[in-house]
Amino acid sequence: MNRNIRPSDISQPSKHLGHIEPGELSFLPPPYEDFNHITVSELKAEKAASIETSLDDTVAMAIPKPKSKEEEEKYLRAFLSGLQKLFEKENNWGFLQPLLLSMEHCAKCQTCSEACPIFEMSGRQEIYRPTFRAEVIRRLYKKYIKPGGKLATKFTGDIELNWTTIARLAELAYRCTLCRRCASLCPIGVDNALIAHEVRKLFSQEMGIAPRELHEKGTVQHLRIGSTTGMNPMAARDSIDFIQEEMEEITGYKIEIPWDREGAEVLLLHNAGEVLSWPENIGAFAIIFQAAGVSWTLSSEELGYDVVNYGLWYDDVQLARVAIKHAEIAKKLKVKKIVIGECGHAHKALTVIADRVLSGDLNIPRESAFVILDEVVSSGKLTLDPSRNDFPVTLHDPCNVVRAMGIVKPQRRILRKIAPRFREMIPHGVENYCCGGGSGFAIMSGYNFAEWRVLVSSRKKFLQILQAFEDEPPDIPKYVCAPCSNCKGSIRDLLEYYHAKKRSHIYYGGLVELIVNAMTDMKKPMIHFD
Amino acid sequence: MRIYRRVTLPLHVRWELYPVKHEPGEKAIYGGSYMEEPNWWEKGRKRSLGNELKFMIPEIVFLRGLREENPRLWNVSFPFHLGLYLMIGTFILLFIGAWSMIFGVCIAPGKGSIASVLYYLTILAGFLGLTLGTGGAAALLRRRVREPELRNYSGIADYFNLIFFLIFFAVSLLAWLFHDHSFDGARAYVYSLLTYGGTPGGMAINRSLLGCLSIILACLLLAYIPFTHMSHMFMKYFLYHLVRWEDAPNVKGGRIEAAILANLGFKPTWAASHIGADGKKTWAEIASSRPKIVK
Repeated sequence: MNRNIRPSDISQPSKHLGHIEPGELSFLPPPYEDFNHITVSELKAEKAASIETSLDDTVAMAIPKPKSKEEEEKYLRAFLSGLQKLFEKENNWGFLQPLLLSMEHCAKCQTCSEACPIFEMSGRQEIYRPTFRAEVIRRLYKKYIKPGGKLATKFTGDIELNWTTIARLAELAYRCTLCRRCASLCPIGVDNALIAHEVRKLFSQEMGIAPRELHEKGTVQHLRIGSTTGMNPMAARDSIDFIQEEMEEITGYKIEIPWDREGAEVLLLHNAGEVLSWPENIGAFAIIFQAAGVSWTLSSEELGYDVVNYGLWYDDVQLARVAIKHAEIAKKLKVKKIVIGECGHAHKALTVIADRVLSGDLNIPRESAFVILDEVVSSGKLTLDPSRNDFPVTLHDPCNVVRAMGIVKPQRRILRKIAPRFREMIPHGVENYCCGGGSGFAIMSGYNFAEWRVLVSSRKKFLQILQAFEDEPPDIPKYVCAPCSNCKGSIRDLLEYYHAKKRSHIYYGGLVELIVNAMTDMKKPMIHFD
Repeated sequence: MRIYRRVTLPLHVRWELYPVKHEPGEKAIYGGSYMEEPNWWEKGRKRSLGNELKFMIPEIVFLRGLREENPRLWNVSFPFHLGLYLMIGTFILLFIGAWSMIFGVCIAPGKGSIASVLYYLTILAGFLGLTLGTGGAAALLRRRVREPELRNYSGIADYFNLIFFLIFFAVSLLAWLFHDHSFDGARAYVYSLLTYGGTPGGMAINRSLLGCLSIILACLLLAYIPFTHMSHMFMKYFLYHLVRWEDAPNVKGGRIEAAILANLGFKPTWAASHIGADGKKTWAEIASSRPKIVK
C-alpha cells in the first residue's frame, strides 16, 4: 500500500490509486483468523475491460470508458457544469448552505478520519480517508468555481481535472456509506460525508450517471412500477395476503391485514424488500397492531407498499418525487399519521428530509415505528413473556434512525422489556458504527462490490457483533436485532460470508419478530434458530 | 459580509446530527430528539439553553471535541487558540483601560484597586496570550510540516496562515519584551484610536519599530482571517446552529413552510434527462412529475 498518496494524485493515471494487500485489513479474532489474509478478489479482466476501474479493487458505478477524446471532453464539460450547479440556489437550495459551510471551513486536522470505519478497517487506505475525496472537491471548487481560482489554487493546493479525476471521483463517492460518523466527531462541524453525497448528486443530476441498483432498478422502477423490488400493486397484495396466511401457520395466531382503509389512524409503510426477504417482519407488525387494537392500514397503491426512497443517497429530484407520492397516498387515505416500518433510510427521507419539501395538506405527520411499538409494549396491551426470548440479544442502531433522527431510547425500552439477555454493542446509540451497507451499499452487488462490502465497509460491524457476544459460549444461539431492511441485508451477507451462523451461532432479525416471539398469545414461537 | 452571505442563503433541508444540544434533559446527552415522543407534532417543543451552553462553553473555551477525539493535536492547538482568546481578552482590557483614561482614571499600580487590577490583568493576559500563541503557532506549523497526514492535505496558504500568526505573536512578544512590559504603549495606541489621535495626559510618545509592526500585523491579520478557513473560529457557530442542530419542524402556515414554497419556485437547470428540467419548470412542477425514461 502506498501511504503517501495525496489528493492531487487522483488525476495521475495508474492501474489503481488504492489497493488492499492481503493482511492489510484489520484483524479478526478467533475463530475467524482464516479470513485475515483474504483481500478483495481481482476484477475479471474481460469484465473490467470497458469500464473504469482505476480507483481501487472494486467497482460501484461501472462507468464506460470514453471512446474518443471528444467524448472525454464532453464528460469534463458536464462535470464542470454540474459542479457549478451544486453552488447555485436555483439548483441546489436544499443543501447549498450546509455544503458551502463544509467546503470553506475544514481545518484538515484529520480528526474525522479516526471516526470512519472504512478508513480504519481498510488498514488506513489513504483514498478512504474522509478528507481525501472532500479535499479533491474543495480544490476543484476553488479552482473552477471561485473567482480567480486558477491563480488561488497555486497557493491553496492545485489539482488537475481530467477524465481520470472524474472517473475516480465518481467511484470514490461510493466508498463512503454516508453514515456521517465523521461529521459527528468534527470539532468544527464540517460534514465531509455531505460532500460525498453532493458528488453523487452531481453525477446523477447533471451527467445521468448513478449505480444501476439505485437509479434504473431503484427510483426509476419505483416510480414506474410502484416498488424497487419490481412488484406491482397486484403482486404486492398477493404476496402480503400470502404472508397473512403463513403467519397463522407459523404462530397459530390469525391475522387480518387491512388494505386501503380510509380514515385509519395509521398508514404503515414498509420497505417492500421485507415482503420478499423477511416476510415474517410484515406479519409481525400485523400481529402486534391487531393485538394492540391499533387503527391501521396498508396501501395497495403504487409506491404505497414500498417506503424506500433511494433518492436520499444520490438524487434530490428523485427523492422529492418519491416523498411527494408517499404523502399523496396518505392524504388520499385520510390517515392521521404515516408510520414508517423497519427501514432506516426511509425514516430519514420521509420524516426529516421531506419535512422541507412537503407543504400544506401533504405535510402529514410522520412517526417512527419504534415510537408506536414502544407505546404499545409499554401500554400493557400485549401480554409478554420475556423468558421466551431467553437468548443473548444485541441491537444494531441504523445510522439514519439514531444519528440522523435522534430516536435512540424507544427501541431500547422495548428490548429491556422483552429480551432479558439484551446487551449493547460498543459503541452504540448516536455513536454507533454503520452496518457497512448504508447509502445503497446493501443492495449494490455488481462485479465484486458485495465482497468489498463484507470485507471492508461491514468489517467494523462484524467486529462489534463478535465483541457483543464474546462472553457467550459459541454453541448457543445469539440474535442481532437489526431493525432496518438494508442493515439486515448487510448483516445477513456478513454473517453468511464469515460463516458466523456455523462458527458462532449468530442469527439476525428485526425488532417486531422479537416482540411477537415474546407474546403469550402466540401458540408457536416466531423465531427459530436452525 | 461573509457571514451575511452565508446566513441569507435559502432554507435548506434538515440535515441535523444528534445529539442536538438544545434538547432538554438527558436527550441532549444520549442524543434523543423530540421525534422519540408519540405524536410529537401535538406537543410543544422544549429547548434548553442551559444544555446548549453546557456544551458550547467547554467546546469554545477548551476545544472539548478536539481534546476528546484528537488529543495529540489538541496538545498544540489548544495553546494556540488559548493564546488567541487571551489576545482578544487583552484587547478588551486595553479598550476598558483606554476608556477609563478618557474619564481621567490613570491605569497604573497604586492608583486605586480597579486601576491596579486592570493594569496587572492586562500584563498577565497579554504575556500569556503572546507566549502561548507563539508556542502554539510554532508547534502547529511543525506538526503540519512533519506529519504526512497533515502535510499531504496542505497548500502553501495553510503554511502561510500559520507563519503569519507566528510572526504576529513573535513580533508582539518581542515588542513586549523590549519596549512595552506594562502594555502602556498598546493602551496609549487604543486611547489614540478612541480619541482620534489623542495622547494620554502626562504620557510621553514612545513608538518602537516592533510595536508599530505588531499593530500593523494585527490589523492585517484581522482583515485576512475572513478570507481563509481560519474563520471557523466564528463560523463554527453557524455550522452548529444552522446545520448540525437545525431541527425545527415544518408547521403548516409557518415561516418554514413559506420558505419551502419559495424554494419550490426555483427553476433548476440540471441536465440529466430523467430530471426533465428546462430552466422554465419549477422544482414543484418537476418533483410532481415522473422521470423521463430514455431507452
